[in-house]
Amino acid sequence: MRKPWLPRPSNSVRPDPGRFTRRGLLLGLGHAAVFGGLTARLYQLQVLDGAETAVLADDNRIRQFPLPPLRGRILGASGKVLADNRQSFRVILKPERGLDLWEVRALLRRLAPLLDLTEDQQERIFQKARRQSPMLALPLTEEATFEQAAALEVRRPELPGVITQAIPSRVYASTTGTDAWAMAHIIGYVGAVDRRALDDEPVLRLPETRVGKAGVEAGMELELRGIAGQSQIEVDARGREVRKLKERAPLNGRDIRLTVDEALQAGILARLARDGRPGAAVVLEVETGAVRALASTPSFDPAALTGAGSQAAWRRLNANQDHPLLNRAIAGQYPPGSTFKMVTALAGLEAGAITPKEKIECWGDVTYGGHVFHCWNRRGHIASDLHRALRESCDCYFYETARRTGMEAIAATAKSLGLGETYQAGIAGQKPGLIPTPAWKRSRGTAGWVQGETVMAGIGQGYVLATPFQLALMTARIASGRAIVPTFVQPQDGDRYPQFEALSLASAGLEAVRKGMIAVVNEPGGTGHAADPDDGHTVVAGKTGTSQVSRASARRDPSVVLKNEQRDHALFVGYFPAFKPRYAIAVVLEHAGGGGAQAAPVARDIIKLLGDHDSTTPLKAVPDPGRTPDIARAG
Amino acid sequence: MFQSSRPLTIAEKLVRLNWPVLVLVACLAAIGTATLYSVAGGSFEPWAQRHAQRCLAGLLLLTACALVPARLWRAAAVPVYLMALVLLAAVPFAGVEAMGAKRWLAVAGLQIQPSEFMKVGLVLMLASVYAALPPGEVSKPRWVGLVLALIAVPVMLTLKQPDLGTALLFLGLGLGIMFLAGVALGYFAGGILVTLAALPLAASRLHDYQRRRIETFLDPAADPLGSGYHITQAKIALGAGGWAGQGYLNGSQNRLDFVPEKMTDFIFVVIGEEWGFLGASTVLALFAALIVCLFASALRARGDTFGRLVIGGGALSLSIYVMINVAMVTGLIPVVGVPLPLISYGGTALMTLMVALGIAMSVRIHDGAPPRI
Repeated sequence: MRKPWLPRPSNSVRPDPGRFTRRGLLLGLGHAAVFGGLTARLYQLQVLDGAETAVLADDNRIRQFPLPPLRGRILGASGKVLADNRQSFRVILKPERGLDLWEVRALLRRLAPLLDLTEDQQERIFQKARRQSPMLALPLTEEATFEQAAALEVRRPELPGVITQAIPSRVYASTTGTDAWAMAHIIGYVGAVDRRALDDEPVLRLPETRVGKAGVEAGMELELRGIAGQSQIEVDARGREVRKLKERAPLNGRDIRLTVDEALQAGILARLARDGRPGAAVVLEVETGAVRALASTPSFDPAALTGAGSQAAWRRLNANQDHPLLNRAIAGQYPPGSTFKMVTALAGLEAGAITPKEKIECWGDVTYGGHVFHCWNRRGHIASDLHRALRESCDCYFYETARRTGMEAIAATAKSLGLGETYQAGIAGQKPGLIPTPAWKRSRGTAGWVQGETVMAGIGQGYVLATPFQLALMTARIASGRAIVPTFVQPQDGDRYPQFEALSLASAGLEAVRKGMIAVVNEPGGTGHAADPDDGHTVVAGKTGTSQVSRASARRDPSVVLKNEQRDHALFVGYFPAFKPRYAIAVVLEHAGGGGAQAAPVARDIIKLLGDHDSTTPLKAVPDPGRTPDIARAG
Repeated sequence: MFQSSRPLTIAEKLVRLNWPVLVLVACLAAIGTATLYSVAGGSFEPWAQRHAQRCLAGLLLLTACALVPARLWRAAAVPVYLMALVLLAAVPFAGVEAMGAKRWLAVAGLQIQPSEFMKVGLVLMLASVYAALPPGEVSKPRWVGLVLALIAVPVMLTLKQPDLGTALLFLGLGLGIMFLAGVALGYFAGGILVTLAALPLAASRLHDYQRRRIETFLDPAADPLGSGYHITQAKIALGAGGWAGQGYLNGSQNRLDFVPEKMTDFIFVVIGEEWGFLGASTVLALFAALIVCLFASALRARGDTFGRLVIGGGALSLSIYVMINVAMVTGLIPVVGVPLPLISYGGTALMTLMVALGIAMSVRIHDGAPPRI
């Protein structure tokens, strides 16, 4: 008996071929649709999107590495290389299986004698190892010498994971001589890339890249840095290098030739340092704006800032009360005092507020709006024209001139003479100083501008601030009558220094002021006799300045013993030869006292150095240390 | 059913072999060997040589299976199916675990994969069930339920291993044979509705790795270096091939190992990169031609339900693999781990396919039609 749930034998069944054929064709159609869809998908992926995914494919297999350019060198005016590149060695620790803190400890102890690591440095490295991911390389030093790197290579089997890599590092002149110290402020130094400063330049992301942090190194950064090359390497899925595809060589940075003569600079720095006071001196070439010397004391040894012990050196320098890292010549902002009187005079002449011949009375003080303003000479100058007022630095004359002229006009003249601004001179770290105006004071939200402030500004006090660099520039512009632009960098081959336009000041006024400046150094009663080299042929024009740091009342009370920070700054600006100006000079000595007594003699020695320098380059000797400066007759 | 008066001689059988199918199989096997040579970086070791040897052995096996009389295959249907079922059921207890899945049995030092037996068993079983049913009975719920149960048991057992790719193949194969056998279309429509309704439930029961694959499929860019890596790299390599390809042995993504699983599941990507759209679509066309040949041979087998369904089942087991594999490597469906028949490296699935094709040829040879010259 047949069980109903089992199919009956097939030979009793008539198949239905028609239905199978229909179903087979249907299934075939379905297959055709799917295969057609798959082909369309392939067409989309391979042909339509092919170009796009081909880029992805190259991203997959091609890695690009920046090839760092060699940093340009910095040369002195004589051609001597002052900043150069040297091969040094970075040592990193990168064990295959990540850092183990115990192993790091043990390794550091064994590496310490090889790399001259102090206990302090070891501890710092260890703390870094604790903080960072164990899979990252741990930098041990970037300043290993060739000998140290070689010693590590020899001991490679005992020092697993210790890797040495050659990297370029910066080296500054002869680290033992005076050149390095003398040029330290101008050249500046390099340091690691600030994370905030990262731009699109891929080479900045390389850990060994150093960028300028101060001085010309920073001011000429883009030219010194050069342009990174690129290496394209084909890698497999595990990132292993398969072959080099192509390479574009880096464009090395340009060598920078300074206008500063390192021998002259060294002589000037030595002269400045002799007095042991913080101060600065600037020598500009009047015709070209070229900075021939720019000294700031105290200076520092740039070599100490790199390599072993650099951390301690940084701490010492930053803790030093005299701030050796500060380049006072461009970043020291001082009240210009009486050296500003040429500005007031030129503004007054230009505005028609005074004439060169008009005499203004001086009885030792003058009262405006109920306030008494003193002349430095308490007996007064009776009555002075412009010539005498400049020669004897009569304050009352310039109080009155400023009052008549007004602050806006004085500020405009100050700006046209180069004050209150910074320059694309190839050096970083310039401070702008300050030329105040009523609008400036309003913008600070304080009380309105009062006449007394104009009067004080007229003698370079009050709000007025200028750097020695700016004062030298002002002097050069007065001497030449042209809008000199200063520079630290010589023009490239084939280029010349630019021609500068004439200032918009009347030449009669400039001539009157220049005569007054000649009188300061050369006529009886002049405050700047000490600047005269007295060699029988060099005629110097100049102006002394004694700028007050503390309030006048404290200065006039003999019972008050002035602390050093309250003593006056001594200033001198000048140019020579007076009738064919070649150099403009500015000297500022912090808290040194009177400009005529303290700054003018320094200026005189610099003038002598310049004379020697011009006649017999290179310089033969620093000035005679035995010679004592002349005592000036007035401050 | 018409029977010839005397058994065919071996020579007659050889003449009656489906030669176009054999040629196409040999072509695809040769393409597979050449691609594996390229995958190995221009070397017969370690894959190309063994693949070629296996393909030759497979062709011999195919021929041998084709020479076995069709009635023996029909008689073997129930035993093969039952044996495969028992082996499948034994896998969870006695299976060898590899990569988080138990798919293999170790018997007397040989590793066997019961799901491969089931591919043949299921086709034979379903074909013989429908051959025994009168056409009017095919759509009766009782028989539909029986056939569904015959399909569902191996599907469930395979899902447990877990082996989603093979489970999908069983399901597709079974449903395809039901469709060919003439089960009323209403069942299929209903089945689709039920499946859609049950999708959320199924999703909740997926293994983690299966769920990840599906999530990855939906958004491969979300985790390009993790589970999205395979499909992203596959698309990149296909795109790199472009219209005409980068040239044989020159596929950069293949050569630099960016293409994952490139000797097995993703081998089609290597073909696409080195031969471009032209090469990849040619391979697809060869598969299509093979399937067309098989269907045509099924259609010619008039009057023999068992034979037609066995041939149809053989064609389906080939086409389902090809469609799933190509859809997978082109990012149309999630990565389910299905090789490309005849081209991917791997022995067991190749042999099973050869056996299935051999049985399909056997029923054509022995269907009683007069010998063609």
